[in-house]
Amino acid sequence: MASHHTTAAPPIDPLMSVEDLAVSFDNGSGPRIQAVAGVSMSVYPRQTLAVVGESGCGKSVTAMSSMQLIPRPPGRFDAGRIMFEGRNLLELPEHEMLKVRGGKIAMIFQEPMTSLNPVYTIGDQIMEAVLLHQAVSPDEAARIAIKAMADVGIRDPEGRMRAYPHQFSGGMRQRVMIAMALACRPSLLLADEPTTALDVTIQKQILELLRGLQHSTGMGMMLITHNLGVVAENADVVCCMYAGRVVEYAPVTELFDRPLHPYTRGLFRCIPGLSELRNRLVTVEEVVADPREYEGLRSDAGPVMPWWPFMDQSQRPALDDPSRPYALVEVSPNRWVGCWRTPEVARTPSRPPRIAPA
Amino acid sequence: MRGIGAQEAKGFWADAWDRVRRRPGAMLGMAWIAVMGFFAVFAPLIANAHPIRLERLGADGQVVSVEWPLLAYLSPTDWLLMIATAFGVPWIFLGSGRLGRAGRIGVLIGLSMQAGATIVLAALLIWAAEGSGIESLERLTRLDAGPWPLILCSAVVVAALASAVPVATSLSRRIVPIVGAATLGFVLSWLAGGQTLVNHEQVILDEAAGKVRATWTLIPWSSQYTRSDMVGIPPGTRVADWEKTASFKGTPFGERRVLLGTDAIGGDVLGQMLWACRLSISIGLVSTGISVVLGVTIGALMGFFGGWVDLLLYRVVEIFMSVPTLFVLIVAAGVLPRNTYVMMAIIGFFSWTGAARFTRAEFLKLRKMDFVQAAQAAGLPVRAVLFRHMLPNGITPVLVDASFAIAAAITIEATLSFLGLGPDGQASWGKLLSSATAATGTFVWWLAVFPGLAIFLSVLSYNMLGEAMRDAIDPKLRKAAH
Amino acid sequence: MATYLLRRLLLMIPTVLGITLMVFLLVALAPGGIGAGLAVQGGQMSDTSKVAQMQAYLEDRYGLNDNVLVQYARWLGRVSPLKFGTTPLVAPTGDLVREPRDLPEPVMTWAFPAPASFVVQYTPPEGEALVADFKRLQREAEGTRRTYVGAVRGLKDALADHVRALGAPWTARLEPKGGADPERFRDLPLEGDAPTLVALRAAAATMHSSWTEAEAARQRATIAFLARPYPAAGIEIIPNAFSLGAPDFGVAFSRNRPVWDLIATALPVTILINFIAFPIIYLVAVPTGVLASVRRGGAFDVISGLMFLLLYSVPVVLTGVFAIGFLANNQYLGWFPVSGLHDSAAATMTFMPYTDDAGAWHRGWLLDMVWHLALPVLCLVYAGFAVLSKQTRAAMLENFSSDYVRTARAKGVPSRDVIISHVLRNSLLPLITMFVGIFPAMLGGSVVVERIFTIPGMGSLVIEAINLRDRELILANTFMISSVSLLALLLADILYALCDPRVAYD
Ligand SMILES: Nc1ncnc2c1ncn2[C@@H]1O[C@H](COP(=O)(O)OP(=O)(O)OP(=O)(O)O)[C@@H](O)[C@H]1O
Ligand SMILES: [Mg+2]
Repeated sequence: MASHHTTAAPPIDPLMSVEDLAVSFDNGSGPRIQAVAGVSMSVYPRQTLAVVGESGCGKSVTAMSSMQLIPRPPGRFDAGRIMFEGRNLLELPEHEMLKVRGGKIAMIFQEPMTSLNPVYTIGDQIMEAVLLHQAVSPDEAARIAIKAMADVGIRDPEGRMRAYPHQFSGGMRQRVMIAMALACRPSLLLADEPTTALDVTIQKQILELLRGLQHSTGMGMMLITHNLGVVAENADVVCCMYAGRVVEYAPVTELFDRPLHPYTRGLFRCIPGLSELRNRLVTVEEVVADPREYEGLRSDAGPVMPWWPFMDQSQRPALDDPSRPYALVEVSPNRWVGCWRTPEVARTPSRPPRIAPA
Repeated sequence: MRGIGAQEAKGFWADAWDRVRRRPGAMLGMAWIAVMGFFAVFAPLIANAHPIRLERLGADGQVVSVEWPLLAYLSPTDWLLMIATAFGVPWIFLGSGRLGRAGRIGVLIGLSMQAGATIVLAALLIWAAEGSGIESLERLTRLDAGPWPLILCSAVVVAALASAVPVATSLSRRIVPIVGAATLGFVLSWLAGGQTLVNHEQVILDEAAGKVRATWTLIPWSSQYTRSDMVGIPPGTRVADWEKTASFKGTPFGERRVLLGTDAIGGDVLGQMLWACRLSISIGLVSTGISVVLGVTIGALMGFFGGWVDLLLYRVVEIFMSVPTLFVLIVAAGVLPRNTYVMMAIIGFFSWTGAARFTRAEFLKLRKMDFVQAAQAAGLPVRAVLFRHMLPNGITPVLVDASFAIAAAITIEATLSFLGLGPDGQASWGKLLSSATAATGTFVWWLAVFPGLAIFLSVLSYNMLGEAMRDAIDPKLRKAAH
Repeated sequence: MATYLLRRLLLMIPTVLGITLMVFLLVALAPGGIGAGLAVQGGQMSDTSKVAQMQAYLEDRYGLNDNVLVQYARWLGRVSPLKFGTTPLVAPTGDLVREPRDLPEPVMTWAFPAPASFVVQYTPPEGEALVADFKRLQREAEGTRRTYVGAVRGLKDALADHVRALGAPWTARLEPKGGADPERFRDLPLEGDAPTLVALRAAAATMHSSWTEAEAARQRATIAFLARPYPAAGIEIIPNAFSLGAPDFGVAFSRNRPVWDLIATALPVTILINFIAFPIIYLVAVPTGVLASVRRGGAFDVISGLMFLLLYSVPVVLTGVFAIGFLANNQYLGWFPVSGLHDSAAATMTFMPYTDDAGAWHRGWLLDMVWHLALPVLCLVYAGFAVLSKQTRAAMLENFSSDYVRTARAKGVPSRDVIISHVLRNSLLPLITMFVGIFPAMLGGSVVVERIFTIPGMGSLVIEAINLRDRELILANTFMISSVSLLALLLADILYALCDPRVAYD
């Protein structure tokens, strides 16, 4: 979980890098919903990138974009790219994408109760993925499926192959989802709130399971979650989002030690016990509304001011281009903060967010 | 006091109405329904074999006396309908005051429900008084039966009852319907009394001989008037050009045109089609009204009480659902008297399950909602919760579905009439349609095309309206639409 | 599964009972009642007293004088496979023979005391002789009973005549149609020798003598019956108390044939038409709905939706008349036959089409039927298209946005497979449920279609029965149609249970 404080180019390329992604949705008669407005992040093999941020900030949309699972229309990729094995995932034709989905990148979803097809057996659903991506006989596929189920800790996997989803509990279904995702040995796993719907003990089990599997297979993982405890325990790198943009991007320990963006600070302060004890809880709103929180941040381009969409017009610095108010700036080695794009920021090139594992 | 739900539902309806209005199909449908409604109300004035004005001429061509046969012919129902429409519709669109347009429509609907209930009540009273068959219901449409006292009494009773319903909020609005109903009754009986009916056949002959001068209606045929010498005339023919009636050449009667042809017993198709609007519209509305009231009541009981009430009534619903409805309707219409009221009743009685299921589902959902629980917690009695709070919300999907139910009722009426099981002595599109394929094996196209088109357009209109309302109200479908 | 099936079958029983009771009450309580049809038949006779006696006989024969619920219970007893009371016998002709019924009581016993009851002494012979004897006694009992019932009616008529002769206030107690209910005239003075009174006394004497005769004949016939001239029908569990047997739907008086025979020829026709129509509906509507949902909002979606809405708004009668008029009638295209299920020459046709030596083509029995059924089936199917394709589309759209479809897509399942094996597979469930809504409607629709195209199915049968007020036929028709409908619904339920693993059988 350690990270290096080097500005040198990372020794290996990231597994997947999201660069300046913007996604919007048609909203009938109203203006388009800009779900994601210029997001960048990257995942390395064996690394866990945690994506946090409040509900609706575009976490799922980002993950789903990399699988082209955004329904289009109403969705649309406005800008940016997602590089994976040297190719832009956003532009891959459907038949290429089919090989990537499930084969190279797997995804598990938030709702284990409804994410399995109720009319097929568990075995059929896992085998479907195996048969799609591996040139094996059905018997072989069944063996792989059984092994995958055993790997995620389902007892009596052979017998359970013939069971239907409704005969499983939520935790077991999520295990099945994981087994299905990992049956084809993907190199990247997108886990979209894999434990939110589960109770605390099961949550722990599932996350431990994922961590173990990640170590044994060496895959990269993008872990979307709301739970900062989960982040602290599992992530290497944290990407904190707000309103379709990245507000802070940092190695997990550094972020927890010293959050730089007021919003991130607000997030941490409202968790009791994580920082020093307080008489009362502070809300995120109180923190981000305090102008003093925005002072004192410097970068190569000079002083910068953290970006915040609800900041008073009077407090905002002069922008280079009002239509592009935001930029992700590396304020110190391996620390990125979303800032107002002042002319100085626009002039100074900034490295895209990449934090290679040790 | 009105329920929270009522206001919520109103805003909701206004919103839905705006969306419906944007659909050309729905607007066309409503236009057709309006046309149908117009003819349903004014058919007696437009298509009638009785002249409006009849001048009896002396030997020297002088006017001896003047009669108004049409006035005498019109039945109390006709009067009621026409006056209500003539005043009500302009009032909706032009009227102003505290009531909005929706409120005015509401008052009119309330009034027409009162009028409908009055007729039913009066019919029941006559029935009870005379103690003989249901046929006596038909008496209501005849003046000589003299049911005026009964009608007036029941009008007062119903008006009083209706004013207890929270449609009327002030004392004046409670009194107006009572006074209005009474006045209207007296005016009508005064207007129509003392006139005599004329022999139509004789008028035509007299007219040809120059003994009378008659002012005819726009379409001088009625649904009842048939001539054996005019069977099967094709559309557009002049009476004088028809072989069997060539003797009328040069008389006013000979100059008449049979615009849409005549049927197998020599009745004018256009006249019958206009009169048939009445049957179609009234059966559609009344039978759907019956089924909605029945269904909502039963569904509300099921949804509100749950438990064994629900269990028991739902069995009944299931029985009705698995009945081949049209089949049972055919049996029922076949063995019961061939009568409009009976037909309305049986169609309503066999089609309430949809409304019941909708209401039940909605109530089961609403029961758990905060405002109902809050009302119950506040100590409001069960009845108040049911009618003030839950009904306005629960009824919404039922009303949307009512449009389809009306379309279905119109289809059923046409089907039953086609099978010869329709009301006796009433013009009906289905009946006309059935005479298109005669027993002799010939096919008379104008008897199939014109009534067929009318049935199709009416059913289509209600279906389109229903479709538009359903899309406007069901947010899930709305989302799926784009 | 077996218990599930059994439970469903048992639940059907109250439903069928409910429907038949409803129809029974409708038929029985309708003004004019069941007798209306009988009166029509009797009306062809000239002599009014003969008509009255005929009516009395028919009323007695069909038990129309009893309470409606008693009549229904009796009907139910005959239809039910569980039978209570004396076991009926099967005559060599196949007809069921029941124990001769008790005679109705003589009327006006307060004025004209009924003859004393008596017991006839009769020893039935054995073997062939018994059969011959029973046949004779049966006829005799029938005949004398008819005379007796007629005599009772005669007495009532004589009473009415007398009352009319007395004038007011007595006449006020007459029934609206002029008949006299003896019970209402208990206080009528019967002294004197007015001509009507003499006639009344004579009528009473006739009634009594015919009662004595009929009662004797009935007792002898009963003894012969109990001696079992024929084998018992069904399986006797406790002799003459409790037995199992085939449902007996009675005799249709309008055709004077067992109802079952009529139904046995008509029902297969109706079922055939429906079973041809159903696959067509599903084959057209489901793919359309699927395509419409896949390209939602596209031209196909909009056009198919609009077209089906238009079609849906065309009543069956309209299509029927237009099809007959323009497609079948020789005045216009004349491509199809106007009526019937078969050509009159169908009996001599080969099954398959063939070309004979002269090179002429013969369509054969099968094609002939297809040709005859084309228009009726067309009329039956199109309304279902709209309902079903709309439902398919809605179900598909709902499943498209479901989580498990997202999972499938995330697995890399190609979109065609996603549509077919995930979205469509899950949309089948509501489509099976739809069957529940469509099938009863279809059965009703086929009544109309059969009527239009004069196809000898249940529809034609029921309309005939209605027009003649043939109660037995109406009830049996309703019973069969409801049963078929319920069985189809049961089939749908089973299919649903097979398709949805979440449904537990017990
Ligand atoms: N199919 C869609 N159509 C329209 N808008 C959408 C669609 N999917 C997502 N959005 C919009 O995109 C925005 C981001 O949604 P997203 O699902 O990424 O949020 P999230 O960060 O994952 O939130 P949560 O933590 O609640 O899962 C939301 O404002 C949402 O309204
Ligand atoms: Mg999400």
